[in-house]
Amino acid sequence: MPALVGPSPYIYVGTRLRVRKAKLIPRDEYIRLLNMGLPEITRSIQETTYKREIDELSTAFSGIDLIEVALSWNLAKEYQKLLEILPGPLQHLTSSYLRRWDIQNVLTILRGKDQGLPAGRIKEVLVPAGELDRAFQDRLLAEDSPAKIVDLLKGWRLYPVLAREFEEAAESGWFARLENELYKQFYADVIADARGVKKGRAFIDYVQLEIDIRNLQNLFRLRAQHERGEVMEFMVPGGSFSVEELQHIYDIEDLDAFIDALMERVTERKLLAVLEDLKKEGALKERSLQEKEIALTRVKLAEMERMTKMHPFSIWPILAYLELKKFEVFNLRAITRGKESKLPPERIRGYLVM
Amino acid sequence: MVDLETAVMTVEMIEASQLGTQAIAAALAVSITGLAAAWAEYGIGSAAVGATAENRDVFGMALLLTVIPETIVIFGLVVSLLILF
Repeated sequence: MPALVGPSPYIYVGTRLRVRKAKLIPRDEYIRLLNMGLPEITRSIQETTYKREIDELSTAFSGIDLIEVALSWNLAKEYQKLLEILPGPLQHLTSSYLRRWDIQNVLTILRGKDQGLPAGRIKEVLVPAGELDRAFQDRLLAEDSPAKIVDLLKGWRLYPVLAREFEEAAESGWFARLENELYKQFYADVIADARGVKKGRAFIDYVQLEIDIRNLQNLFRLRAQHERGEVMEFMVPGGSFSVEELQHIYDIEDLDAFIDALMERVTERKLLAVLEDLKKEGALKERSLQEKEIALTRVKLAEMERMTKMHPFSIWPILAYLELKKFEVFNLRAITRGKESKLPPERIRGYLVM
Repeated sequence: MVDLETAVMTVEMIEASQLGTQAIAAALAVSITGLAAAWAEYGIGSAAVGATAENRDVFGMALLLTVIPETIVIFGLVVSLLILF
């Protein structure tokens, strides 16, 4: 779209995305899906926006694999199509937001190859929504050794980090550190890209919110693993907490004091409510890590919703839609996979972000 | 004392000036409301096109909402006609 003067392109895109957001699967529908059997769920999904992908892919895949691939393809297609309608500055910022999928895809390929999984199986879970398109991913998948895959990625923006960390990850078979380093660099790049760009301030605010939530989730995860000591390397810099501060909070042994320390620093009302809720008698120990993480994710979505209402013609509605769409796909995947593994509906419900 | 000729001229000048002011007022009534309607339709139109692109069924409603600010111009036009006649 050519650069137009005034807010008109923002109003246009904002309205389109509001309509799309209204079309996403509502909460009641998830509850209904949870009580259905797998064939009925498949049929229900087929009747929604995923019909086209399911029809296209039905010759190559079947059953739950078909649903899985159709969901990933739909997500990627939706993201790429969205980029076409965005006005100039927002397109730039949104494509830098979408680059996170490249990290996820590259890591999925590396992990899959490391474990000797067939290319077809890895391909099912790739979401070609970033800069590395489907054709390039096929080239990566055609290689057998992870080292060769890394070589092919030479032109990739995050290649220096990948090259630096890959050897250690390949030797130990533990990719978590590599993943962490890639995300750290990704966030640093995204913030640097947004500086000086028109409408970039709102985007930086979003990235900071995401970093904060991510760091908090990491803090809870590390505490759940009862790991003591240095956690600074797992924390992403750039959020409203400094990594030193996070380390300091993490060092607090007592659980209640740990939550108190977080509450002192947080101003966001929804986040305070979640922390307050966790502080209640025994809640911190009773609740699973999954529940805590989902509660934090909900805080992020609620905050995004609030910002969308405050700034209806900015990047917020776009990011809110992208995130909600992502969670719709995650939820549907969790429901189908959960049903396939014969998990009880209450258990699956714990994994849904509604 | 002002002579008669000067007095007639002054009256004519005042009348002409009144007519000019009326014309300016009428022009302002139409043009300002026109600009205001354009400004309002600019936002509504963008949103209407966006909504129609996603869902064709809302075209009729979107068109109706887009032209609602035109009523302001009609008010302006009525006021300007009242000023002139």
